[in-house]
Amino acid sequence: MNGFAARIAPPVATFVVATLLAEIAIRALAVSPLLLPPPSAVGRAAWIYSGTLWPALASTAGAVVAGLAASTVVGILAAIALASSRWVERAFYPYAIFFQIVPIVAIAPLLVIWFGYGWRAVVAAAFIVSVFPVIANTLAGLRAVDPALLDLFRLYGAGRVARLVKLELPWALPNLFTGLRIAAGLAVIGAIVGEFVGGGGIGVVVLEAMRQQRTDLVFAAILHASLLGLVLFGTVDGISRVALRRW
Amino acid sequence: MKRNSFVGPAILACLLALACSRGDESDGRLAIALNWKPEPEFGGLFEAQRSGAFRRQGLEVEITGGPGAPVVQMVTAGQVAFGIAAADEVMVARDRGADVVAVYATYQTNPQGIMVHAGLAVDSLEQLFAVEGGTLAVEPGLAYVQWLQKRYDLSRFRIVPYGFSIAPFLADPRMAQQVFITSEPIAARRQGAEPKVFLIADSGFDPYAAVVIASGRRVRERRDEVDRLVAALREGWRGYLDDPAPANAEMQVGNPEMDAETFTLGAVAQKPLIENDFTRAHGLGAMSLARWTALGDQLRELGLLDATPAPADCFLDIRREAGEPRDSQSSRFDAVQQQRVQGGLSSRPPSGIQEGT
Repeated sequence: MNGFAARIAPPVATFVVATLLAEIAIRALAVSPLLLPPPSAVGRAAWIYSGTLWPALASTAGAVVAGLAASTVVGILAAIALASSRWVERAFYPYAIFFQIVPIVAIAPLLVIWFGYGWRAVVAAAFIVSVFPVIANTLAGLRAVDPALLDLFRLYGAGRVARLVKLELPWALPNLFTGLRIAAGLAVIGAIVGEFVGGGGIGVVVLEAMRQQRTDLVFAAILHASLLGLVLFGTVDGISRVALRRW
Repeated sequence: MKRNSFVGPAILACLLALACSRGDESDGRLAIALNWKPEPEFGGLFEAQRSGAFRRQGLEVEITGGPGAPVVQMVTAGQVAFGIAAADEVMVARDRGADVVAVYATYQTNPQGIMVHAGLAVDSLEQLFAVEGGTLAVEPGLAYVQWLQKRYDLSRFRIVPYGFSIAPFLADPRMAQQVFITSEPIAARRQGAEPKVFLIADSGFDPYAAVVIASGRRVRERRDEVDRLVAALREGWRGYLDDPAPANAEMQVGNPEMDAETFTLGAVAQKPLIENDFTRAHGLGAMSLARWTALGDQLRELGLLDATPAPADCFLDIRREAGEPRDSQSSRFDAVQQQRVQGGLSSRPPSGIQEGT
């Protein structure tokens, strides 16, 4: 418990101090609430519009989790395929990088044309931005297997599958989790951009609030999205702790 | 977590710096921020610039902004002197504590509407929303969407965000979408569709549109400059209504995706929405208290207002004195002006107008 408190206290202190400073500065400078609402106004908006925000967040969370799950499965499979031979890697890896550099905002309108309005377009956006870190990190892990251990497996006549399941994948696990941690945050961004064009969730709440000049609600919605990112990050982190206990 | 705690204050600092910089006065140029690409809806502005109407009024104007520009916020922060917004945005902004004022209304009749395929064979919005399995693409949060939701039964329709592309509309015969009458319907027709448009104004919700706004402080302290801007805008719009070709050519440079014919057709389509009996009596761009009051009532009914901004505070009465006598206190700013003229008033405005911070 003591360790937990020691980990929680610094970020909470940062939050409290930063919030207080922002509140004081914004009030002292009499900044229009339309430009930058004080934290208290954001908190009030979060409370007043909780009936809108929480269902929207649940919808976004569903799309993020689906996108992230797809990224995990596809990312691992792609990494295994790429690791299977140098030639495959050379032929396809440059195209995997496409997913990293694709400007999601620019192609988001196309997602609607390809997948239709609604959750499929949102999941697709979350997937597109989050798959690359999984591929890249898993691949790095698969490539970094200790050659001596590979020799050992070969010596004992282990097959390709046994080598993959018993050596390479476990070896790549820490890298995989690094990739997933990055992917989790990106998936939230991807889903919200997807919602801007596909509809639903926090993305539409943000658009609505902007249009109606409820800057406090914009910030409240963004806070909820950050919260989702934090929870996901924490979840991935927790799973990795359990999974990597042996490392 | 670590990233958040650094990025947050950094963004905050930037925003504060932004909010505190009131740089528009520095070189004497007046910036006008548009809220969209150059299109016929801004024709008179570009014509006033092109023909030298601004210059003749002693104004050096710079046209800036564009799609997605947070115009109301820019005007509030003093980053630009003037901007383009809709009347409902002005009222909502005042409700949220921003002191912005409408000084010139381009459109007497709101040019926004819902575009459908003529093949749907519907003659009204009521009939349209009775169609099963339709999709309506609109910007989330638009006041008139709230209005439609209140007035009609939209339950059979799927409401999706409008991405400013008519491609989904062209692809789906049951699709309906928001339009500016000067733009999308013309583009759709040119791409082979047969569109039909229902103006929102005809359903009873008709805020002034493409309204030129300024901060209340500017209107109070630099009224003469605002009056000269209005005079130049009137001259510009008169010129554009009579011959849109020269300004269209200039606007097309800034908006090459819109072809020349769409500009020409757009200018024709919008003419009756800009000039009507009211403007012939009171001058182009003029607004009435009755219209602003009606808008306030509607916005309140839609739940878009928290408090009750006084309609008279929302606009500057620029009606020309010719014709029928105007009621003396339709806009608060006029009340200030008149009292000042009569002499008896110090710089203190009547209650209801707060001095800008």
